[in-house]
Amino acid sequence: MASSLLNTALSVAAKDLRIEWRTKTAFASSIVFAVLVLAIFYFSRDTTVVSELDIAPSALWVTFTFASMLGLNRAFLLEQENRAIDAILITDVPRTGVFLGKVLGNLAFVAVVELITLPLFALFFNVPILRPLPALLAVTAMATLAFVTVGTLLSAMVVRTRFAELMLPVLLLPFLVPPVIGAVQITAGLLAYRPLSDFSGWLRLLASFDIAFVAACLLLFDATVEE
Amino acid sequence: MGYPDNAIYAIVGYVVTTSILVGYAVVLFLRTRKEQRAQR
Amino acid sequence: MTNSNPIERLLKRGWTLTIAALLSLVAVYVRVVYFTPVESTQGPAQKIFYVHVPSAWAALVAFAVTGIVSLLYLKRRDEKLDTIGAASAEVGLVFGAVMLTTGPIWGKVIWGAWWAWDAKLTSTLFLYILFVGYVVLRGAVVDPEMRARFSAVVGILALILVPFIYFSVNMFRTLHPEPPVLRSGGPALPGSMLLTLMLSVVVFSVLYVGFLMVRYSLSVLKDLREKRAADGIS
Repeated sequence: MASSLLNTALSVAAKDLRIEWRTKTAFASSIVFAVLVLAIFYFSRDTTVVSELDIAPSALWVTFTFASMLGLNRAFLLEQENRAIDAILITDVPRTGVFLGKVLGNLAFVAVVELITLPLFALFFNVPILRPLPALLAVTAMATLAFVTVGTLLSAMVVRTRFAELMLPVLLLPFLVPPVIGAVQITAGLLAYRPLSDFSGWLRLLASFDIAFVAACLLLFDATVEE
Repeated sequence: MGYPDNAIYAIVGYVVTTSILVGYAVVLFLRTRKEQRAQR
Repeated sequence: MTNSNPIERLLKRGWTLTIAALLSLVAVYVRVVYFTPVESTQGPAQKIFYVHVPSAWAALVAFAVTGIVSLLYLKRRDEKLDTIGAASAEVGLVFGAVMLTTGPIWGKVIWGAWWAWDAKLTSTLFLYILFVGYVVLRGAVVDPEMRARFSAVVGILALILVPFIYFSVNMFRTLHPEPPVLRSGGPALPGSMLLTLMLSVVVFSVLYVGFLMVRYSLSVLKDLREKRAADGIS
Protein backbone atom coordinates (compact mmCIF):
# COMPACT_ATOMS: atom_id res chain seq x y z
CA MET A 1 0.00 0.00 0.00
CA ALA A 2 2.78 2.37 0.93
CA SER A 3 4.68 1.49 -2.20
CA SER A 4 1.71 2.17 -4.46
CA LEU A 5 1.35 5.52 -2.71
CA LEU A 6 4.95 6.38 -3.45
CA ASN A 7 4.73 5.04 -6.99
CA THR A 8 1.69 7.13 -7.70
CA ALA A 9 3.32 10.20 -6.25
CA LEU A 10 6.47 9.75 -8.29
CA SER A 11 4.63 9.10 -11.54
CA VAL A 12 2.38 12.12 -11.11
CA ALA A 13 5.39 14.29 -10.29
CA ALA A 14 7.35 12.92 -13.21
CA LYS A 15 4.48 13.53 -15.61
CA ASP A 16 4.08 17.13 -14.50
CA LEU A 17 7.79 17.83 -14.71
CA ARG A 18 8.09 16.22 -18.15
CA ILE A 19 5.34 18.45 -19.49
CA GLU A 20 6.99 21.44 -17.90
CA TRP A 21 10.40 20.57 -19.26
CA ARG A 22 9.14 20.42 -22.82
CA THR A 23 8.18 24.07 -22.93
CA LYS A 24 10.43 25.54 -20.21
CA THR A 25 8.55 28.82 -20.45
CA ALA A 26 7.51 28.74 -16.82
CA PHE A 27 11.09 28.21 -15.69
CA ALA A 28 12.35 31.01 -17.84
CA SER A 29 9.71 33.49 -16.79
CA SER A 30 10.14 32.65 -13.10
CA ILE A 31 13.86 33.27 -13.28
CA VAL A 32 13.48 36.52 -15.19
CA PHE A 33 10.85 37.54 -12.65
CA ALA A 34 13.20 36.76 -9.77
CA VAL A 35 15.97 38.86 -11.28
CA LEU A 36 13.61 41.79 -11.76
CA VAL A 37 12.31 41.64 -8.21
CA LEU A 38 15.84 41.53 -6.81
CA ALA A 39 16.78 44.51 -8.95
CA ILE A 40 13.80 46.52 -7.78
CA PHE A 41 14.61 45.82 -4.15
CA TYR A 42 18.21 46.79 -4.69
CA PHE A 43 17.43 50.09 -6.31
CA SER A 44 14.43 51.10 -4.26
CA ARG A 45 16.30 52.12 -1.16
CA ASP A 46 18.17 55.10 0.22
CA THR A 47 21.70 53.72 0.00
CA THR A 48 22.94 56.04 2.73
CA VAL A 49 20.49 54.58 5.21
CA VAL A 50 19.77 51.02 4.15
CA SER A 51 22.70 48.71 3.56
CA GLU A 52 22.58 45.77 1.18
CA LEU A 53 22.67 43.42 4.11
CA ASP A 54 19.66 45.14 5.67
CA ILE A 55 17.42 44.67 2.70
CA ALA A 56 18.80 41.39 1.40
CA PRO A 57 16.74 38.90 3.45
CA SER A 58 13.45 40.63 2.60
CA ALA A 59 14.39 40.83 -1.07
CA LEU A 60 15.23 37.15 -1.17
CA TRP A 61 12.07 36.01 0.51
CA VAL A 62 9.70 38.23 -1.42
CA THR A 63 11.31 36.80 -4.54
CA PHE A 64 10.98 33.22 -3.34
CA THR A 65 7.38 33.71 -2.28
CA PHE A 66 6.26 35.20 -5.55
CA ALA A 67 8.25 32.67 -7.56
CA SER A 68 6.48 29.90 -5.65
CA MET A 69 3.13 31.41 -6.47
CA LEU A 70 4.05 31.63 -10.13
CA GLY A 71 5.02 27.99 -9.99
CA LEU A 72 1.73 27.01 -8.41
CA ASN A 73 -0.20 29.05 -10.94
CA ARG A 74 1.39 27.33 -13.88
CA ALA A 75 0.78 23.95 -12.28
CA PHE A 76 -2.88 24.34 -12.13
CA LEU A 77 -3.20 26.11 -15.47
CA LEU A 78 -1.79 22.89 -16.81
CA GLU A 79 -4.58 21.01 -15.08
CA GLN A 80 -7.26 23.36 -16.21
CA GLU A 81 -6.32 22.86 -19.80
CA ASN A 82 -6.19 19.13 -19.72
CA ARG A 83 -8.55 18.21 -16.86
CA ALA A 84 -6.00 15.46 -16.57
CA ILE A 85 -6.61 15.14 -12.91
CA ASP A 86 -10.13 13.91 -13.52
CA ALA A 87 -8.79 11.10 -15.64
CA ILE A 88 -6.36 10.11 -12.93
CA LEU A 89 -8.98 10.19 -10.23
CA ILE A 90 -11.35 7.90 -12.06
CA THR A 91 -8.78 5.17 -11.72
CA ASP A 92 -8.06 3.21 -8.58
CA VAL A 93 -5.00 5.20 -7.73
CA PRO A 94 -4.67 6.34 -4.08
CA ARG A 95 -5.79 9.96 -3.79
CA THR A 96 -3.13 10.89 -1.29
CA GLY A 97 -0.55 9.66 -3.76
CA VAL A 98 -1.89 12.03 -6.39
CA PHE A 99 -1.65 14.93 -3.98
CA LEU A 100 1.83 13.97 -2.92
CA GLY A 101 2.85 13.77 -6.54
CA LYS A 102 1.50 17.23 -7.29
CA VAL A 103 3.33 18.61 -4.28
CA LEU A 104 6.58 16.93 -5.31
CA GLY A 105 6.27 18.24 -8.83
CA ASN A 106 5.63 21.77 -7.61
CA LEU A 107 8.45 21.49 -5.07
CA ALA A 108 10.86 20.42 -7.77
CA PHE A 109 9.89 23.35 -9.97
CA VAL A 110 10.19 25.88 -7.17
CA ALA A 111 13.42 24.32 -5.93
CA VAL A 112 15.06 24.77 -9.31
CA VAL A 113 13.98 28.39 -9.47
CA GLU A 114 15.27 29.00 -5.95
CA LEU A 115 18.60 27.29 -6.60
CA ILE A 116 19.17 29.45 -9.63
CA THR A 117 18.05 32.60 -7.84
CA LEU A 118 20.25 32.10 -4.80
CA PRO A 119 23.63 32.66 -6.45
CA LEU A 120 22.19 35.59 -8.41
CA PHE A 121 21.03 37.02 -5.11
CA ALA A 122 24.47 36.61 -3.58
CA LEU A 123 25.97 38.31 -6.58
CA PHE A 124 23.59 41.27 -6.73
CA PHE A 125 23.50 41.98 -3.02
CA ASN A 126 27.08 41.13 -2.30
CA VAL A 127 26.14 38.91 0.63
CA PRO A 128 28.07 35.89 1.89
CA ILE A 129 26.04 32.78 1.26
CA LEU A 130 28.79 30.19 1.07
CA ARG A 131 29.55 29.82 4.73
CA PRO A 132 25.96 29.52 5.94
CA LEU A 133 24.91 27.67 2.79
CA PRO A 134 23.74 24.37 4.32
CA ALA A 135 21.69 26.17 6.96
CA LEU A 136 20.32 28.55 4.35
CA LEU A 137 19.27 25.67 2.15
CA ALA A 138 17.64 23.91 5.08
CA VAL A 139 15.60 26.98 6.02
CA THR A 140 14.64 27.55 2.40
CA ALA A 141 13.50 23.96 2.12
CA MET A 142 11.34 24.19 5.24
CA ALA A 143 9.64 27.40 4.24
CA THR A 144 9.16 26.31 0.62
CA LEU A 145 7.60 23.05 1.77
CA ALA A 146 5.04 25.11 3.68
CA PHE A 147 4.11 27.38 0.73
CA VAL A 148 3.97 24.62 -1.80
CA THR A 149 1.93 22.15 0.24
CA VAL A 150 -0.79 24.59 1.19
CA GLY A 151 -0.63 26.20 -2.25
CA THR A 152 -1.11 22.86 -4.00
CA LEU A 153 -4.14 22.02 -1.88
CA LEU A 154 -5.70 25.41 -2.49
CA SER A 155 -4.96 25.13 -6.22
CA ALA A 156 -6.79 21.83 -6.34
CA MET A 157 -9.92 23.62 -5.17
CA VAL A 158 -9.48 26.90 -6.91
CA VAL A 159 -8.91 25.34 -10.34
CA ARG A 160 -12.59 24.44 -10.42
CA THR A 161 -13.80 27.96 -9.78
CA ARG A 162 -14.11 31.06 -11.87
CA PHE A 163 -11.41 33.71 -11.28
CA ALA A 164 -8.99 31.01 -10.29
CA GLU A 165 -5.86 33.09 -10.87
CA LEU A 166 -7.15 35.76 -8.50
CA MET A 167 -8.43 33.38 -5.87
CA LEU A 168 -5.20 31.52 -5.31
CA PRO A 169 -3.13 34.47 -4.04
CA VAL A 170 -6.02 35.79 -1.96
CA LEU A 171 -6.47 32.48 -0.19
CA LEU A 172 -2.80 31.56 0.01
CA LEU A 173 -1.17 34.77 1.24
CA PRO A 174 -2.26 34.54 4.90
CA PHE A 175 -0.68 31.08 5.02
CA LEU A 176 2.64 32.46 3.90
CA VAL A 177 2.97 34.86 6.82
CA PRO A 178 4.34 32.60 9.59
CA PRO A 179 6.86 30.71 7.41
CA VAL A 180 8.10 33.90 5.77
CA ILE A 181 8.57 35.70 9.07
CA GLY A 182 10.60 32.77 10.37
CA ALA A 183 12.58 32.37 7.16
CA VAL A 184 13.49 36.04 6.93
CA GLN A 185 14.57 36.24 10.56
CA ILE A 186 16.79 33.21 10.22
CA THR A 187 18.19 34.30 6.85
CA ALA A 188 19.08 37.72 8.24
CA GLY A 189 20.92 36.07 11.09
CA LEU A 190 22.73 33.57 8.88
CA LEU A 191 23.93 36.28 6.52
CA ALA A 192 25.37 38.04 9.55
CA TYR A 193 27.24 34.84 10.43
CA ARG A 194 25.15 33.98 13.44
CA PRO A 195 24.91 30.25 14.12
CA LEU A 196 21.70 28.39 13.39
CA SER A 197 21.40 27.48 17.05
CA ASP A 198 20.56 31.11 17.79
CA PHE A 199 17.28 30.62 16.07
CA SER A 200 15.81 27.59 17.76
CA GLY A 201 12.50 29.36 18.35
CA TRP A 202 12.02 30.20 14.70
CA LEU A 203 13.16 26.76 13.61
CA ARG A 204 10.62 25.20 15.94
CA LEU A 205 7.96 27.42 14.45
CA LEU A 206 8.87 26.45 10.90
CA ALA A 207 9.05 22.78 11.74
CA SER A 208 5.73 22.69 13.56
CA PHE A 209 4.11 24.69 10.78
CA ASP A 210 5.38 22.17 8.22
CA ILE A 211 4.22 19.20 10.25
CA ALA A 212 0.80 20.68 10.98
CA PHE A 213 0.08 21.74 7.43
CA VAL A 214 1.53 18.79 5.57
CA ALA A 215 -0.58 16.53 7.76
CA ALA A 216 -3.68 18.67 7.41
CA CYS A 217 -3.35 18.98 3.64
CA LEU A 218 -2.79 15.25 3.18
CA LEU A 219 -5.91 14.56 5.18
CA LEU A 220 -8.00 17.25 3.53
CA PHE A 221 -7.08 16.54 -0.09
CA ASP A 222 -9.66 13.80 -0.35
CA ALA A 223 -12.39 16.28 0.48
CA THR A 224 -11.36 18.52 -2.38
CA VAL A 225 -11.64 15.97 -5.14
CA GLU A 226 -14.33 13.51 -4.36
CA GLU A 227 -17.00 13.27 -7.02
CA MET B 1 -10.88 68.45 33.29
CA GLY B 2 -7.55 66.68 33.77
CA TYR B 3 -7.89 64.40 30.80
CA PRO B 4 -7.33 65.05 27.06
CA ASP B 5 -10.13 66.65 25.09
CA ASN B 6 -10.58 63.86 22.60
CA ALA B 7 -14.23 62.89 22.77
CA ILE B 8 -14.43 63.25 19.01
CA TYR B 9 -12.63 59.95 18.59
CA ALA B 10 -15.19 58.16 20.70
CA ILE B 11 -18.05 59.82 18.87
CA VAL B 12 -16.70 58.78 15.49
CA GLY B 13 -16.08 55.27 16.77
CA TYR B 14 -19.60 54.89 18.10
CA VAL B 15 -21.16 56.34 14.97
CA VAL B 16 -19.22 53.90 12.81
CA THR B 17 -20.08 50.97 15.06
CA THR B 18 -23.76 51.78 15.14
CA SER B 19 -23.90 52.38 11.40
CA ILE B 20 -22.34 49.03 10.62
CA LEU B 21 -24.50 47.05 13.03
CA VAL B 22 -27.75 48.80 12.23
CA GLY B 23 -26.84 48.80 8.56
CA TYR B 24 -26.46 45.04 8.61
CA ALA B 25 -29.74 44.68 10.50
CA VAL B 26 -31.44 46.74 7.79
CA VAL B 27 -29.90 44.54 5.09
CA LEU B 28 -31.19 41.45 6.87
CA PHE B 29 -34.59 43.08 7.26
CA LEU B 30 -34.85 43.82 3.56
CA ARG B 31 -33.80 40.28 2.76
CA THR B 32 -36.39 38.96 5.22
CA ARG B 33 -39.13 40.94 3.55
CA LYS B 34 -38.03 39.81 0.14
CA GLU B 35 -37.98 36.19 1.23
CA GLN B 36 -41.39 36.37 2.89
CA ARG B 37 -42.88 37.83 -0.25
CA ALA B 38 -41.31 35.13 -2.36
CA GLN B 39 -42.69 32.43 -0.10
CA ARG B 40 -46.27 33.34 -0.99
CA MET C 1 -45.88 24.59 3.19
CA THR C 2 -45.99 23.39 6.76
CA ASN C 3 -42.43 22.06 6.86
CA SER C 4 -41.05 25.58 6.78
CA ASN C 5 -42.70 26.46 10.06
CA PRO C 6 -39.85 25.58 12.44
CA ILE C 7 -37.59 27.72 10.29
CA GLU C 8 -40.02 30.59 10.30
CA ARG C 9 -40.19 30.35 14.06
CA LEU C 10 -36.38 30.44 14.17
CA LEU C 11 -36.45 33.51 11.96
CA LYS C 12 -38.91 35.23 14.26
CA ARG C 13 -36.91 34.35 17.36
CA GLY C 14 -33.78 35.58 15.63
CA TRP C 15 -35.41 38.91 14.95
CA THR C 16 -36.64 39.18 18.52
CA LEU C 17 -33.11 38.65 19.81
CA THR C 18 -31.68 41.08 17.28
CA ILE C 19 -34.09 43.88 18.12
CA ALA C 20 -33.67 43.24 21.84
CA ALA C 21 -29.90 43.37 21.48
CA LEU C 22 -29.95 46.57 19.44
CA LEU C 23 -32.18 48.26 22.01
CA SER C 24 -29.95 47.02 24.81
CA LEU C 25 -27.04 48.43 22.88
CA VAL C 26 -28.60 51.87 23.25
CA ALA C 27 -28.83 51.25 27.00
CA VAL C 28 -25.15 50.29 27.03
CA TYR C 29 -24.28 53.49 25.19
CA VAL C 30 -26.14 55.49 27.83
CA ARG C 31 -24.27 53.68 30.55
CA VAL C 32 -20.98 54.32 28.80
CA VAL C 33 -21.58 58.01 28.43
CA TYR C 34 -23.28 58.88 31.71
CA PHE C 35 -22.55 56.16 34.22
CA THR C 36 -19.00 55.11 33.50
CA PRO C 37 -16.05 57.20 34.67
CA VAL C 38 -13.72 58.78 32.16
CA GLU C 39 -10.28 57.20 32.07
CA SER C 40 -7.83 59.74 33.31
CA THR C 41 -4.91 59.31 30.93
CA GLN C 42 -6.77 58.44 27.75
CA GLY C 43 -9.76 60.71 28.10
CA PRO C 44 -13.23 60.16 26.72
CA ALA C 45 -11.80 58.52 23.60
CA GLN C 46 -11.06 55.47 25.69
CA LYS C 47 -14.78 54.70 25.65
CA ILE C 48 -14.33 53.16 22.22
CA PHE C 49 -12.96 50.25 24.19
CA TYR C 50 -16.51 49.36 25.21
CA VAL C 51 -17.52 48.61 21.63
CA HIS C 52 -14.13 47.57 20.25
CA VAL C 53 -13.46 44.69 22.62
CA PRO C 54 -16.96 43.17 22.41
CA SER C 55 -16.97 43.40 18.62
CA ALA C 56 -13.60 41.65 18.48
CA TRP C 57 -14.97 39.01 20.81
CA ALA C 58 -18.07 38.52 18.64
CA ALA C 59 -15.99 38.33 15.45
CA LEU C 60 -13.68 35.73 16.96
CA VAL C 61 -16.61 33.66 18.21
CA ALA C 62 -18.21 33.88 14.77
CA PHE C 63 -15.07 32.69 13.02
CA ALA C 64 -14.47 29.96 15.58
CA VAL C 65 -18.02 28.70 15.00
CA THR C 66 -17.34 28.55 11.28
CA GLY C 67 -14.12 26.66 11.90
CA ILE C 68 -15.71 24.12 14.22
CA VAL C 69 -18.75 23.65 12.03
CA SER C 70 -16.39 23.02 9.09
CA LEU C 71 -14.74 20.16 10.96
CA LEU C 72 -18.15 18.70 11.78
CA TYR C 73 -19.34 19.09 8.21
CA LEU C 74 -16.53 16.95 6.84
CA LYS C 75 -17.43 14.25 9.34
CA ARG C 76 -21.19 14.31 9.06
CA ARG C 77 -21.85 15.88 5.66
CA ASP C 78 -24.94 17.57 7.03
CA GLU C 79 -25.83 20.46 4.75
CA LYS C 80 -27.21 22.43 7.71
CA LEU C 81 -23.71 22.64 9.17
CA ASP C 82 -22.45 24.28 6.02
CA THR C 83 -25.29 26.79 6.13
CA ILE C 84 -24.47 27.66 9.74
CA GLY C 85 -20.80 28.08 8.83
CA ALA C 86 -21.60 30.41 5.96
CA ALA C 87 -24.03 32.46 8.04
CA SER C 88 -21.53 32.74 10.87
CA ALA C 89 -18.77 33.80 8.49
CA GLU C 90 -20.90 36.61 7.12
CA VAL C 91 -21.88 37.82 10.58
CA GLY C 92 -18.22 37.55 11.57
CA LEU C 93 -17.26 39.88 8.75
CA VAL C 94 -19.76 42.44 10.04
CA PHE C 95 -18.43 42.38 13.61
CA GLY C 96 -14.92 42.22 12.22
CA ALA C 97 -15.55 45.40 10.28
CA VAL C 98 -16.53 47.12 13.52
CA MET C 99 -13.42 45.70 15.19
CA LEU C 100 -11.06 46.81 12.41
CA THR C 101 -12.47 50.33 12.26
CA THR C 102 -12.76 51.01 16.00
CA GLY C 103 -9.35 49.44 16.60
CA PRO C 104 -7.29 51.95 14.68
CA ILE C 105 -9.34 54.85 16.08
CA TRP C 106 -8.53 53.66 19.58
CA GLY C 107 -4.95 52.98 18.54
CA LYS C 108 -4.54 56.54 17.40
CA VAL C 109 -5.61 57.66 20.85
CA ILE C 110 -3.47 55.39 22.97
CA TRP C 111 -0.40 54.94 20.79
CA GLY C 112 -0.56 57.92 18.47
CA ALA C 113 -0.50 55.50 15.53
CA TRP C 114 -3.39 54.19 13.45
CA TRP C 115 -1.89 50.73 13.25
CA ALA C 116 0.76 48.58 14.90
CA TRP C 117 1.93 45.20 13.71
CA ASP C 118 1.62 43.44 17.01
CA ALA C 119 0.48 39.85 17.42
CA LYS C 120 -3.15 40.53 18.27
CA LEU C 121 -3.85 43.07 15.57
CA THR C 122 -1.98 41.16 12.90
CA SER C 123 -3.72 37.88 13.70
CA THR C 124 -7.16 39.44 13.68
CA LEU C 125 -6.44 41.27 10.45
CA PHE C 126 -5.35 38.10 8.72
CA LEU C 127 -8.24 36.15 10.16
CA TYR C 128 -10.52 38.75 8.63
CA ILE C 129 -8.76 38.48 5.28
CA LEU C 130 -9.06 34.70 5.41
CA PHE C 131 -12.77 34.98 5.90
CA VAL C 132 -13.14 37.45 3.09
CA GLY C 133 -11.43 34.78 1.01
CA TYR C 134 -13.84 32.18 2.39
CA VAL C 135 -16.86 34.22 1.35
CA VAL C 136 -15.34 34.99 -2.06
CA LEU C 137 -14.61 31.30 -2.59
CA ARG C 138 -18.20 30.43 -1.77
CA GLY C 139 -19.33 32.97 -4.32
CA ALA C 140 -17.16 31.39 -6.99
CA VAL C 141 -18.38 27.80 -6.61
CA VAL C 142 -21.76 26.98 -8.05
CA ASP C 143 -22.40 23.41 -7.00
CA PRO C 144 -23.69 23.44 -3.40
CA GLU C 145 -22.01 20.21 -2.35
CA MET C 146 -18.65 21.27 -3.73
CA ARG C 147 -19.09 24.68 -2.16
CA ALA C 148 -19.76 23.09 1.22
CA ARG C 149 -16.72 20.84 0.96
CA PHE C 150 -14.37 23.61 -0.17
CA SER C 151 -15.64 25.98 2.51
CA ALA C 152 -15.08 23.32 5.12
CA VAL C 153 -11.49 22.79 3.96
CA VAL C 154 -10.70 26.50 4.05
CA GLY C 155 -12.43 26.82 7.42
CA ILE C 156 -10.30 24.08 8.92
CA LEU C 157 -7.08 25.43 7.43
CA ALA C 158 -7.92 28.87 8.81
CA LEU C 159 -8.52 27.40 12.25
CA ILE C 160 -5.04 25.83 12.21
CA LEU C 161 -3.37 28.92 10.78
CA VAL C 162 -4.45 31.60 13.20
CA PRO C 163 -2.49 30.40 16.25
CA PHE C 164 0.62 30.22 14.04
CA ILE C 165 0.19 33.81 12.93
CA TYR C 166 -0.25 34.88 16.52
CA PHE C 167 2.88 33.07 17.73
CA SER C 168 5.07 34.11 14.85
CA VAL C 169 4.20 37.78 15.20
CA ASN C 170 4.59 37.48 18.96
CA MET C 171 8.07 36.04 18.55
CA PHE C 172 8.90 38.82 16.10
CA ARG C 173 7.68 41.43 18.53
CA THR C 174 9.63 40.17 21.49
CA LEU C 175 12.74 40.52 19.33
CA HIS C 176 11.80 43.88 17.85
CA PRO C 177 9.63 45.72 20.32
CA GLU C 178 8.41 49.10 19.25
CA PRO C 179 7.70 52.07 21.48
CA PRO C 180 3.91 51.88 21.51
CA VAL C 181 3.66 48.60 23.33
CA LEU C 182 0.09 47.49 23.49
CA ARG C 183 -1.35 46.76 26.85
CA SER C 184 -4.75 45.23 26.24
CA GLY C 185 -7.17 47.64 27.81
CA GLY C 186 -4.60 49.03 30.19
CA PRO C 187 -4.06 48.16 33.84
CA ALA C 188 -6.73 46.29 35.79
CA LEU C 189 -10.10 47.89 35.23
CA PRO C 190 -11.96 49.48 38.10
CA GLY C 191 -15.26 47.75 38.88
CA SER C 192 -17.55 50.20 37.17
CA MET C 193 -15.68 50.02 33.89
CA LEU C 194 -15.44 46.26 34.07
CA LEU C 195 -19.19 46.02 34.55
CA THR C 196 -19.83 48.22 31.53
CA LEU C 197 -17.49 46.08 29.47
CA MET C 198 -19.20 42.89 30.59
CA LEU C 199 -22.63 44.29 29.81
CA SER C 200 -21.46 45.29 26.37
CA VAL C 201 -19.98 41.85 25.74
CA VAL C 202 -23.27 40.22 26.69
CA VAL C 203 -25.24 42.51 24.38
CA PHE C 204 -22.88 41.91 21.49
CA SER C 205 -23.07 38.17 22.07
CA VAL C 206 -26.86 38.24 21.98
CA LEU C 207 -26.68 40.35 18.84
CA TYR C 208 -24.37 37.79 17.25
CA VAL C 209 -26.78 34.98 18.04
CA GLY C 210 -29.72 37.00 16.74
CA PHE C 211 -27.95 37.86 13.47
CA LEU C 212 -26.85 34.25 13.09
CA MET C 213 -30.36 32.91 13.57
CA VAL C 214 -31.82 35.35 11.06
CA ARG C 215 -29.10 34.82 8.49
CA TYR C 216 -29.30 31.06 8.83
CA SER C 217 -33.08 30.99 8.55
CA LEU C 218 -33.03 33.17 5.46
CA SER C 219 -30.59 30.78 3.77
CA VAL C 220 -32.65 27.74 4.65
CA LEU C 221 -35.89 29.36 3.51
CA LYS C 222 -34.31 30.38 0.24
CA ASP C 223 -32.97 26.86 -0.33
CA LEU C 224 -36.34 25.29 0.44
CA ARG C 225 -38.11 27.66 -1.89
CA GLU C 226 -35.64 26.96 -4.70
CA LYS C 227 -35.97 23.23 -4.17
CA ARG C 228 -39.76 23.51 -4.33
CA ALA C 229 -39.53 25.52 -7.51
CA ALA C 230 -37.18 22.99 -9.07
CA ASP C 231 -39.46 20.11 -8.04
CA GLY C 232 -42.46 21.97 -9.36
CA ILE C 233 -40.91 22.27 -12.79
CA SER C 234 -39.67 18.71 -13.13
